[in-house]
Amino acid sequence: MIEFIVLMGIVVCFSGILALALNFQWGLGGMVNFGLAGFYALGAYSCALLMLKGGFNTFFAALGAMVIVGAVCGLVAFVTLRVTEEDYFAIVTLGVGEMLRLVALNEDWLTKGALGLTGIPRPLGATIPPTSYPYFMLALSIALVIACLWALNRLSRSPFGRVVRAVREDDVVAATLGKNVLWARVRIFAIGGVLIGLAGSLHAFYYQYIDPTQFSTIVIAYAFMAVIAGGRGAHLGTVLGAAVVMLLLEGSRFAKELVPLEADQLAAVRIIIIGVGLILLLIYRPHGFLREYRLQATLKEERPEPQPNTPKEAAT
Amino acid sequence: MSEIFRVEGLHAGYGAGDILKGVDLRVEEGTVVTIIGPNGSGKSTLVKTLAGLLRARQGDILLKGTSIRELSPPQRVHAGISYVPQEYNVFRNLTVLENLKIAREFMSGGRAKGPVVSDELVALFPELPSRFKALAGNLSGGQRQMLAFACALAVKPGLLIMDEPSAGLSPKYMTDIFDCIRKVNGTGVSVLMVEQNAIEALRISDECIVMATGRVRMCSPAASVLEMPDLQTLYLGDAATGQEPWASKSAA
Amino acid sequence: MLQTAFNGLVTGIIVALPALAVTLLFGVLKFANFAVGAMMTVAAYMVYALNTELDWPMLPATVAAAVAFGFMCILMDLVTFKPLRERGGLTLMVASLGLGFVLENVARLAYGNAARSYAMDLARPFRFMDIRMNREQMIAFVVATLAMAVMYVLLTRMPIGRAMRAVADNPALAQVRGIDSAAIIRWTWFIAGMLLAVGGVLIGMDRAIEPPMGASYLIPVFAAAILGGLGSPLGAFVGALLIGIVSEMATLVIPPNYRIGIPLLVIAAILIFRPQGLFGQAHIRR
Repeated sequence: MIEFIVLMGIVVCFSGILALALNFQWGLGGMVNFGLAGFYALGAYSCALLMLKGGFNTFFAALGAMVIVGAVCGLVAFVTLRVTEEDYFAIVTLGVGEMLRLVALNEDWLTKGALGLTGIPRPLGATIPPTSYPYFMLALSIALVIACLWALNRLSRSPFGRVVRAVREDDVVAATLGKNVLWARVRIFAIGGVLIGLAGSLHAFYYQYIDPTQFSTIVIAYAFMAVIAGGRGAHLGTVLGAAVVMLLLEGSRFAKELVPLEADQLAAVRIIIIGVGLILLLIYRPHGFLREYRLQATLKEERPEPQPNTPKEAAT
Repeated sequence: MSEIFRVEGLHAGYGAGDILKGVDLRVEEGTVVTIIGPNGSGKSTLVKTLAGLLRARQGDILLKGTSIRELSPPQRVHAGISYVPQEYNVFRNLTVLENLKIAREFMSGGRAKGPVVSDELVALFPELPSRFKALAGNLSGGQRQMLAFACALAVKPGLLIMDEPSAGLSPKYMTDIFDCIRKVNGTGVSVLMVEQNAIEALRISDECIVMATGRVRMCSPAASVLEMPDLQTLYLGDAATGQEPWASKSAA
Repeated sequence: MLQTAFNGLVTGIIVALPALAVTLLFGVLKFANFAVGAMMTVAAYMVYALNTELDWPMLPATVAAAVAFGFMCILMDLVTFKPLRERGGLTLMVASLGLGFVLENVARLAYGNAARSYAMDLARPFRFMDIRMNREQMIAFVVATLAMAVMYVLLTRMPIGRAMRAVADNPALAQVRGIDSAAIIRWTWFIAGMLLAVGGVLIGMDRAIEPPMGASYLIPVFAAAILGGLGSPLGAFVGALLIGIVSEMATLVIPPNYRIGIPLLVIAAILIFRPQGLFGQAHIRR
């Protein structure tokens, strides 16, 4: 039982980091990343390949993965955000995510395609005995989550954080105030990418085997649910949200014993629950269960719909 | 003459706080009433509330004695009120003809009879027929205003509400539009308009209402307001004499 | 090569239906609906059920399913999107993502992952000017073209179509011109639902019926709508044909598995050079 909790804990941690990334990009930066699964795969594969083919050790491989995903995200943001239409951005990220997964699936020479990569090393794998390894991994994961939380909080409270919020609230105003909107957005997305790379690396370390099927839409569903449950913009809340979502849904694996459904169907039910949960949360608990720092008094998380096509006069 | 329209104690606003702080006014049937006032007085908010685009928070709006406060904008249209907004008052991506067709089809609640392009329409708006196939967004400002006006008249309303009909128009179009309003009024349509070009508007009006800071300050026959030698002072107040703008005056 | 172009044309005309649905929904409801893929999937399965379990021929099955699905879309809007109407495009988009998950997996729950096909007699393909056309392609071509023609008439000649375009152009003005926005929204969903249902069936005939079938078309569909200009029905049609043909032609030079890269590149190119697409307005108001 303890074993199970420890393993669960580890999964919660890297899912939490993934959710943090999404939260940063979307909740704070206003950029929806529908390609999350693909970038996550990029992170995992980069880390694995850097170790297996490049001979890097786990630390540098993870670092490398973080840099790679961060750079790719930055590039995508740069190319796309010449026009700041949020709908277009979502579709582009969806497409890029799909492309990344296709590459993972098809480029056998690099990724072994559907067979996946096996024998992925893990940090200090040689030093720590297998029986106590999970505890080490859990400790490491928790430490990393805390590090990410700390870093993101510092960022939020820094001048850059103010720019981020200004851009999200009203990019036209932010632009007239001289903030370089495009550059800020690129950085936001790239920082999110760095986190995704880290989560992907942890994923690779934990499972020690990766294949394309691990990076399906379930990943996105979990992450969005976690971010919304945690309250967009509230970092700690996001991690808690991830924990709750993950526990509820992974815990339902036990339901297999009780419910007469096949594995396929049970998986489908889980996603249905996530989808419905996502919608219900959006409708009834849009701010999740924690609030964003700084916006306690006036909740202006959503950009209020401007009166369409009627003159924007507040008075007169 | 009977009263066709009345507003009682109207309160409305966009966020916290009200912009309209208790507006009272009435329109006699068949008259032209012009509302003037400085920027920020709530004139545009008032017409939007009357059209139904903004919810009234307090007070009542009565058309021919019946409250229309709970009616949606389409319902108010069907009840006999036509509204011409100040900007974005035509469908820019539709042609002139389509704009007119929509007005006709939907303002009448499907009961429209006769052709879209009636003789009266052409008489009032001679410039329009030649541009039927043009996209409304490609018209000049003045032509758009004319189109907006024509659409509002697609079905003869009991009350026509206009928000700054002459805003941004060249002098030629300004004269044309006030001319049109006068003619339309001549056919029995009551008109309630908000205007910045006070003098021009008052020349064709019967009543003048002055608004400031969300309330009606003065209500007087247009003719007497025009005769006031200190209309400028009235408008702006006088720093020298310390006279406040919009001091209450009874009909002179 | 002509064969490839023809295949692309057929793909394009199939994509035109959901692309039109997307553009109509975007115009009137002001958000990008990412559930359209899964919606097509569900409708395709509905026809499958009627066709294989109740033995209905394809035509009545499709018509019945299309009408039913139209109503289902109205219902889905009521439950999912209406409560979020005031919250802006981003939120609606994410909600549509959730709805897509639900729909796709309801299909998976009901029918599992195995690919299925409609009960249609096999027919020999025929040749015309060196191009091989099978019957499914011909049906797709005819049906889709017919649907487009009907939509054209609806949008340009009929009051309801004009009203939809008016609401898309200026919702507040539409109201004061006597148009009941709520009714128009229902109509838009109904029409979009029917388009998506027919599109789903055509895809199911062309490929196979399986849970991810609709979602795999998301990118080409959006690329078509964006290329044509979000909000422009003519644009959706032209955009779809272009995307279809170019994607197929591209498989002559790039590996077919990466076919999806083409629509993606198109989107990127459009964003950089002409964000309003071919026929869109220069400024998309929200």
